[in-house]
Amino acid sequence: MRALHAKLSAPIFMSDVPRIRIAGVHKSFGPLEVLRGVSFDVQHGSVVSVIGASGSGKSTLLRCINYLDPPNSGEIYIEGEPLGSRIDARGGRKPRSLAEINAMRRELGVVFQQFNLWPHMTVLGNVIEAPIRVRKIPRKEAIAYGEECLRRVRLIDKAREYPARLSGGQQQRAAIARALAMRPKAMMFDEATSSLDPELTDEVLSVMRELAVDGTTMIVVTHEMSFAREVSDRVIFLHAGMIEEEGPPAQIFEAPQSDRLRQFLSKYRK
Amino acid sequence: MGNWERLVWNQRDVLFAGFAVTIEVCAIAFVVAILGGLMLCLARLYVAPLRWVAIVLIEFFRDTPIFVQLMWVAYVWPEVFGFPNDFFTAGWLALGLQSSGYLAETFRAGIEGVPRGQREAAFSAGMSPVQTLQRVVMPQVALSSAPSIVNQFTVIVKSSTLVSVITVPDLMSQSQKLVNVWYEPIEILTATAGLYIAFVFLISLTGKLIADRLRQRFGLAAS
Amino acid sequence: MSNALKQSFDLSAFWEYRSILWQGLIFNALVFLCAACVALSVGLGAALFRINRFLPARVVGTLHVELFRNAPDYIMLVWVHFVLPILIGLVIRRRVEFHPFVSAVIALGFVYSGYFAEAFRAGMQAIPQGNLDAGRAFGMSERLILWRITLPQVVRRMLPEALNLFISLFKATTIVSLIAVPDLMYNVSMVIQQEMRPLPLYTGAALTYFLIIFALSSTARAFSERWRQKIQA
Repeated sequence: MRALHAKLSAPIFMSDVPRIRIAGVHKSFGPLEVLRGVSFDVQHGSVVSVIGASGSGKSTLLRCINYLDPPNSGEIYIEGEPLGSRIDARGGRKPRSLAEINAMRRELGVVFQQFNLWPHMTVLGNVIEAPIRVRKIPRKEAIAYGEECLRRVRLIDKAREYPARLSGGQQQRAAIARALAMRPKAMMFDEATSSLDPELTDEVLSVMRELAVDGTTMIVVTHEMSFAREVSDRVIFLHAGMIEEEGPPAQIFEAPQSDRLRQFLSKYRK
Repeated sequence: MGNWERLVWNQRDVLFAGFAVTIEVCAIAFVVAILGGLMLCLARLYVAPLRWVAIVLIEFFRDTPIFVQLMWVAYVWPEVFGFPNDFFTAGWLALGLQSSGYLAETFRAGIEGVPRGQREAAFSAGMSPVQTLQRVVMPQVALSSAPSIVNQFTVIVKSSTLVSVITVPDLMSQSQKLVNVWYEPIEILTATAGLYIAFVFLISLTGKLIADRLRQRFGLAAS
Repeated sequence: MSNALKQSFDLSAFWEYRSILWQGLIFNALVFLCAACVALSVGLGAALFRINRFLPARVVGTLHVELFRNAPDYIMLVWVHFVLPILIGLVIRRRVEFHPFVSAVIALGFVYSGYFAEAFRAGMQAIPQGNLDAGRAFGMSERLILWRITLPQVVRRMLPEALNLFISLFKATTIVSLIAVPDLMYNVSMVIQQEMRPLPLYTGAALTYFLIIFALSSTARAFSERWRQKIQA
C-alpha cells in the first residue's frame, strides 16, 4: 500500500541506478572489526530499516556511509558515483579530497540520536546554516525553504527559539527540518528516537512516517520495531558486523528465517 | 658558544646568590599571603564589625597592580608607618599583601562551597562553631584551595622579578648587574629567563601532581 | 608620622600634574589595546595548534603555551627589548632597535597569549563532539566549522574568564615604565625626580589604579554573573 502510494506520488525517475549502494564495507577500530563486509542497495524512494542488537555495527554503518568514519575497505556509491574515489581524466582511480567528500555529503541528510543542534543559533538559524554556507543558496531563498521544512515538521512557531528551550521531540524535529533543508538525495536516521522519552517519540515517528509516504529515500537505524514493520520497504538485520538476514518487513517480522533474528525479535514481543 | 661558559656558567655563583634571595623573598611572601588571606577571609565572614574593613582591604590588595603596590609600600610606608625599614622587607610585604587579597577570596569560595549539611551534622553532634570550623570546614577548604594556593605561589615568583627595581639583590637584579658589567645581554638574560621559566614550570607541575594525588585519595573535586 | 600621613594624602600635588599623568594613563591604555590584540590572535593560533591532528603542531603549541605562561612579565619585557633586537640584527646583518612601545606590546602580548590559549583550548574541548559531527555531515569544511560552530560557542563560554585576563593584562601594563615607555608610573617617577615629593604621587598613583581596576572588575563580575545565567538558559 505504501509502496503504491510512493510510486504514484513520487516524481517519475527513469533510472535503475540505486540511489545509494553500499558495497563490501569493512570497518575496524584498531584490532576490533566492527563491520565485516556489508553490502546492500537503497532504491530511489524506498525506505530501508536497519535493526540489530547494540554492538552489531548499526551506527558505525551509518557513519561509514557519509565517511564521518571512512571504511577500511569497500565503497559507497551515491547514484553511481563512488564517495571515496573518482576516475580522473586519464581513467585512473584517485582518492577524493576532503573538499570533494564534503561536496558529496550534501546529498545525504543525517539525523543524529543526540540531535546535535548548534546551541548558539536559533532553530531557523540551524536550518539555514548549511544551505547558505555549503550550498551557497542566497539567504532569502534559504529562509523561505527553511520555513517550509519547519512547517513540514510542524515546528514553524518555534523558528526563532533557541534549541535549549525546546523539548527533546521538538529538537529532533528541528534536526529533521535542518537535514531536509539541504534537499538531500537521501535521509539517514541514526536511532533518531532512542534519546527521547516515550511520550515524545510519537511526534518524531509520525514526521518520519510522513516523509516515507512522500517518497523520501531513507535509511533508518532504529529500535522501534513497529515503525520499521509499518514503514519500510526492506529490513536489514545486522549481527556482529554482517547482514544476517534481509527482506521485506513481512518476512523479517512474521517469518524470520535465521535463529539469531528470532532470538532478537523475541525480546520485543509483548 | 664559548660565551655561554664565560658569561653564565662562570658567573653561576652570582646568579645562584640572586636565586637564593628570590626564593627567600617568595617563601616569606607566600607565608604572609596564606596567613593574611586567612585572617582577612575569616574577618570578613565571621567578625561583623571588621567586615567592611576586610572587604576594602581585600579589594585594595587585589586591584592595585603589583608594581604600583611595591613602590607604594617601599617608599611611602616607611615615612607614614615607620616600617618597612629595608627594601627586602618591603619586597616580601608587598608581594604577600597582594596575594593575600586573592587567597582571601579563594578561601571564602572554599568555605562557602562546603555543603551546609556538614555544618549541621557537626552542630547536631555537639561541636562548637569554632570546632566545626577547625575540624570540618577548614580541612576541606585546604584541599579544594590547594591548586589556587600553588598557583598563587607561581604568581609570587613571577612578580618577584620586580623587587629588583627597589634594589633587592634577587636573580633579576643580579643578572642585570652582570649585563651592566659585561655588556653582553644575550646569554645572561636568556639564561635568566630560562631559569625563571623552568622554576615556575616545576612548581606548577608539582602542584598538579599534588592536586591529582589529593583528588585520588579524597575524591574531592579540586578545581 | 601624622605629618607624613597628611603629606601622602595631600593629593593636590597629584592633581597639579594631572595632565601629564593623564597622558601616561593613555599610554597604559594604548599598550593594553595593542597587547590584547596580539594576545588574542597569537593565543587563538596556539590553541588551534594544540588541538591539531598533527603531532608536530601539537608539540609547538604546547611549547608555546608552557613557555609564555610560566614566564615572568618583567624578564620577558627586558628580554624582548634588549636581546631580541640583537638576535634579529644578527640574522639580517643590520643594527636593530625596538621602540619601547613595540617591545612592551610584543612582550606582554606573547606572555598573555599563553593564558588566552589555555582559555580557548578549555572552551574548545567543552564543545560536544556531536556538534562537529553534524557540521561535517552537512558537508561543512573544517574552517567553516571552526568559524561558525566552534568559535562562537568558545567565545560565549569563555567570556568571563577572558574579561579577567584583560583586567590582568591592564594591570601588567604598569611595568612598561621600566623600559621607558612614558606611561603613568614613568611620568610619576619623572615628576618625583623634579619635585622630590614621592608620597602624594605614589599614593595618588595607587589610588588611581585601584579605582580604575575596582570599577572594571566590579563591572566584569556583575556582567559575568548575568552572562553565565544567560548562556545556561
